[in-house]
Amino acid sequence: MNGISPGTHLLLVIATPLVGAVVAWLLGSRGRHAVRQSAAVTAIITLVGAGWLLLRYLQSPEAALGRPYAVISAPWLVDGMFDVRLSLGLDGLSLWLFGLSALLSLTAVMVSWEAIEDRPVGFYVLLLVLEAAMLGVFAARDVILFYVFFEFTLVPLFFLIGIWGHDDRRRAAIKFFLYTLAGSVLTFLGLLTIVLWNASHTGSVTFDIDRLTAGMAAHPLPMSREGGWLQMIVFVALFIGFAIKVPIVPFHTWLPLAHVEAPTGGSVDLAGILLKLGIYGFLRFSLPMLPEAAAAAAPWLFGLGVAGIIYGALVALVQTDLKRLIAYSSVSHMGYCVMGLFALEPVAVEGATLQLVNHGLSAAGLFALVGMIYERYHTRSIANLGGIATKAPWLAAFFMLFTFSSIGLPGLNGFVGEFMILAGSFQRAWSGVSTTWQTAYLTMAVLAVVGVVLGAWYMLWAVERVLFGPSREPPRGGQAGMHAAGHGGHGVHDESTTGGDDLRWYEFAALAPLAVFMLWIGLVPAIFLQPSAAAVRAAMQPGAAAFAERMEPERPKAALVVRLP
Amino acid sequence: MTTSLQTFALLAPEIALVVAAIIAFLAGAFAGLRSGWLVALLGIATAMALAGGQPTGGAVSAAISIDAFSVYVRWTVLVLGALLALVLAGDLFPAAVSRGNNVWRGGTCEEAGTFLLLLAGLSLVGVAGDLVLLFAGLELVSIPTYILLALKRGDAHGQEASLKYFFLSLVASALFLYALVCLYGIGGSTSLAAIGARLRSTDDAIAGITTVLLPVAIGMAMAGAAFRLAAVPMHFYAPDVYEGTSPGNAALLSTLPKVAGVVVLLRLLGLAVAGPVQAAAVGSGAIAYTTLFWQLALALAAITMTVGNVMALMQSNLRRLLACSSIAHAGYLLVGVAAAAAAASTGVTKGGLMADQGWTQGLGGASATLFYLATYALATLGIFAAITYLGHRWPEWKSGAGPRPPREEIGTVDDLNGLSATNPVAAFAVAIFLLSLAGIPPLPGFWGKLSLATSALEVDWNAAITFGSRRAAFVALAVLLVINAAIAAAYYLRIIAAMYFKSTKRGVQADGGISAGLAMLACLLLVLVATVKPAGLFRAASRAGGSPAAQVVASDLR
Repeated sequence: MNGISPGTHLLLVIATPLVGAVVAWLLGSRGRHAVRQSAAVTAIITLVGAGWLLLRYLQSPEAALGRPYAVISAPWLVDGMFDVRLSLGLDGLSLWLFGLSALLSLTAVMVSWEAIEDRPVGFYVLLLVLEAAMLGVFAARDVILFYVFFEFTLVPLFFLIGIWGHDDRRRAAIKFFLYTLAGSVLTFLGLLTIVLWNASHTGSVTFDIDRLTAGMAAHPLPMSREGGWLQMIVFVALFIGFAIKVPIVPFHTWLPLAHVEAPTGGSVDLAGILLKLGIYGFLRFSLPMLPEAAAAAAPWLFGLGVAGIIYGALVALVQTDLKRLIAYSSVSHMGYCVMGLFALEPVAVEGATLQLVNHGLSAAGLFALVGMIYERYHTRSIANLGGIATKAPWLAAFFMLFTFSSIGLPGLNGFVGEFMILAGSFQRAWSGVSTTWQTAYLTMAVLAVVGVVLGAWYMLWAVERVLFGPSREPPRGGQAGMHAAGHGGHGVHDESTTGGDDLRWYEFAALAPLAVFMLWIGLVPAIFLQPSAAAVRAAMQPGAAAFAERMEPERPKAALVVRLP
Repeated sequence: MTTSLQTFALLAPEIALVVAAIIAFLAGAFAGLRSGWLVALLGIATAMALAGGQPTGGAVSAAISIDAFSVYVRWTVLVLGALLALVLAGDLFPAAVSRGNNVWRGGTCEEAGTFLLLLAGLSLVGVAGDLVLLFAGLELVSIPTYILLALKRGDAHGQEASLKYFFLSLVASALFLYALVCLYGIGGSTSLAAIGARLRSTDDAIAGITTVLLPVAIGMAMAGAAFRLAAVPMHFYAPDVYEGTSPGNAALLSTLPKVAGVVVLLRLLGLAVAGPVQAAAVGSGAIAYTTLFWQLALALAAITMTVGNVMALMQSNLRRLLACSSIAHAGYLLVGVAAAAAAASTGVTKGGLMADQGWTQGLGGASATLFYLATYALATLGIFAAITYLGHRWPEWKSGAGPRPPREEIGTVDDLNGLSATNPVAAFAVAIFLLSLAGIPPLPGFWGKLSLATSALEVDWNAAITFGSRRAAFVALAVLLVINAAIAAAYYLRIIAAMYFKSTKRGVQADGGISAGLAMLACLLLVLVATVKPAGLFRAASRAGGSPAAQVVASDLR
């Protein structure tokens, strides 16, 4: 496969799920098993292809600089002033999220193995189309192409939630779609303004993200009264769409509903990948292209991030529904990413970028586990669950591992990200220029640390109630039909014994890869930090410089220097 | 002004349509009832063939101007006409003509002939270079529409619909005629080119005339066009009429009159500029004209799209909902018209975007409107084709519970419940059309909204966004446009949710005729092609938008 050019390789990886979707559709008449097998094979091929591409990237000279790799471009809508191109490529910002999309798509297929009985063809076709869109959005190097994928992810997920979701699925699907659409149309106008501004100054109408970034650096949007604060206006327009995606409190209200009602596979993709699009958008567009506005807004957004951490954690603490608890923990954890991003410190931003992957792994894993518990006991209510560890030790082990990853236990991936974010935030606080700023940043950073404690509290408390103690959940009676059909290699699991509650082979397949990466990132984070470091720094550099300039009149008083491998 | 043989040659496609109409009328008496729509399709195919052999621009006779604009309009009309003929051929006809047991539900030969005349009229509006021909073309659109509406349904709803449309259309035509009279008063000629030349002249005498006549002319012209577009303030008939008539007629009403409205507005706007619409207006009269034009169009656009969407949110009847949706889309179309007028009143080429590079050709407001018109028409037509094709659903009935009640026509959104299970192809097609109307990328509706938003943002590009400035107004319009797109998604999603998320025990009958099904599939194909390769349509619209200017003909200048 090394014989083909990287660009073709990338294109093939993105096209594979689409081909797989067609195959799954054609196999529809052969029944559910054929369809899900083909979906699993497609997801595995895509994952292998994506992994291979990442390896090739890491060995390429571009990797050290975080430069775009595997760039491929073809005209799409080229006429007059329009020059929209189908332009794809990977760089330091996108490579891990690209890989994560491929990884979690396999998880999404595997957790749906038995859960989806109604209309499996449509389900797997949509899941694979969603995978292609997720891979595409991270690989897009053209603003319009990015937006196309960005919006298009809504369509398959809308149907996934609306058809295969739980009781309130219709409302959840429509609310999810409308809420995110309402935000992203404004983002669209903002992006369009950037393109037009660049065109009027450089003379070439380009939608290419790299050229736009360079153009905006050379001709920044006005950030003054005479210029009409245009940069701030565009920043706000972009912010609304991205903030809803993240979601940043108070734009989060769609998220718990969508998560609770979504089928497990949809939740996995939603929590694991789609929430990352917001932060990715900030990092790809807002910070490099609108640095002065970003710098002006940074303290407030830093504060919103902290507010999200605390708010999400407190709300999670009082949840009685396990899935809803995980959903609010997502709000809380995405708060760390927002905070780290707008600390505008290299360490914190790198930590936030890594935390995207970390949260993708842990949240997706936890949602998958909640789905498995629901499949077994038909309840998600914490009060009706208990003592699962005795019945399903493997499930409990994974639950513990993912919980530890989520709360940032040292040695696991969550710790690395959270530590870097907090370290960077304190660094930002110490380098604060006035006592007021210093106090404000310190207070917020300390509150964020409190959030870590809260996070441990609600997660461990939930684990205690659900996994240990006396058994409270209803027996799995009447569910024998769900896994009666034989699948090779798991005959030992018999639902008539207590071992019947434990994980099946496909559930192992869904969870084990996540666990591997949690340990891997936790133990050797440098492997994962290194390739994206240069690109992340380049993306945040203009924002950090603008921030320093805003604070220029006063000198920093002290600085805490954090060095990580 | 002499009518030369060349004029006839240039009008060959329209003449072919009229000849086909006559044949269709006569065929009803001799051949079977089915022959009418066959003749119609053959006539449209002949017109297409003839149009293909026409010059694509530059050929100008005394009263007609064949430019990229009219060529685009002509092709739009012919393609939509072919699709509509398929829909109408299969359209339900409650007062079905009975021939023994062989009930022919489709339209009759009279309908086919009338429809062909309508197409010929619409195509004439596109090529008209003269006020008289313009008005004659518009009436040739209106009068067949009355007949088609009246022929379709005998019940009270149908009568109400056709009468309502008839009277309002008369008012709109009268208003439009006033506008033409005022323009004649300004120009002293019925030739658009001569009026344009007079309007643009720097002669002081023109100023006195224009202060009185211009506001009247533009206001009346807007009112006349607003009726055809179903834009505020002439929008209120749409829900009642769409509901009262058959789905096929609603398909016709939601597409062809809108083409007429857009064409008329752009032609009249073109009066003020000598070159392409993007070029600057010269002369105080022309500047006053374009300024009034964009102000009015902007206000109407903002109100229309909001009113349409808010009304649509409250509808449960499918045809009423689509009528409100078509009102909202009229608002989107006006965004491009307003942007084109604003660009013309200063000239994008002067101090505008990319001025230093000598950039002149882009997708300005006029092109964006024409592009959007095509994407909108295809999607809307597709939905109505699907509704026509689906026809009726089975009533709720248990065996043994008395005689089976009659079939129910698909009327409300709830009637589409569970369509994804009962008729997956139709459900998929309708979902694609709805998502395109909602502007979800990468469907054509998205490309349309992209170009409309761009054209609005481009206005006064170098000016600061200050309160009350024209730039601020257009930026606000662009914001309103995208917000409305999001609002609109709410009711489009409701239909999709009904089709995919709900279940039903009552299947649809799909008795609306195979030809309507074909039209639906053809629309789906065209929409998907425009999704993957929008560049072709884009290029055509881009060329067309540059040219509805009044062509100056030497013989017209005295």
